[in-house]
Amino acid sequence: MSEERGGRGGRGGAKSGDKGKGEGRPRGGFFRRRRVCKFCADKIDYINYKDVRLLMPFIPERGKIQPRRISGTCAKHQRALQTAISRARQLALIPYVTD
Amino acid sequence: MSQNRQYELVYIVAPEASEQEVADLHTQVEQIVQRFTGTLDKTENWGRRKLAYEIGHHREGTYVVETITGSGELMKEIDRRLRVTDAVIRHLAVRVDDDLRVAERLRGERKATQARRRTARGLPPEPSPSERRGEPHDDQDEDRIGMEGVEVQR
Repeated sequence: MSEERGGRGGRGGAKSGDKGKGEGRPRGGFFRRRRVCKFCADKIDYINYKDVRLLMPFIPERGKIQPRRISGTCAKHQRALQTAISRARQLALIPYVTD
Repeated sequence: MSQNRQYELVYIVAPEASEQEVADLHTQVEQIVQRFTGTLDKTENWGRRKLAYEIGHHREGTYVVETITGSGELMKEIDRRLRVTDAVIRHLAVRVDDDLRVAERLRGERKATQARRRTARGLPPEPSPSERRGEPHDDQDEDRIGMEGVEVQR
């Protein structure tokens, strides 16, 4: 058995059937839960606060940080993401609020 | 020199400032760094960028990123100087060496684990570009089946 497979199956009681991240996401504000943490999956060790393109998916329209239960980010990376976002906000790369 | 730490300094210069003023600010920072016997490793000028929100009635600003190795006193002095400079509308200094070291270690560990597992499976330690997964988006599952097929033969 390949190791990737074992790791995937074990993560967070993955709902079978729905694979793929972007597909079939309804428009009305409901996001299907992503099964894996983006940073673990993409093997990003250091979340750079200057990389706006990396941070933007975690900031919905309102400008708040997306909670873990929706984005699927693991606890460790969510903490790092918090720091990165608040630094980026200080530098006016990301808004604090958008109305 | 007590400790040498790596810092990242980002500052935003007001949009009215000319190129010359931005260059002057850079030399000012450089001088402080030299006075405290630090080193200025890298300078990046992002140029004019739109701000995500207004800072003191400014809608855009010139971003400059400097990577500095030096002591905490050095950064304290730079921080003080930038705070009293009117042309700088925002600045942020972050210590990065620890974070980068952790990231480096994690990368090394991951590589080692991968190599160990791959050799245990009788494969060369480095994956060849053809069996790399993730980039081609839709054929991941076939890819996995293909890999298992290889293992059955062994």
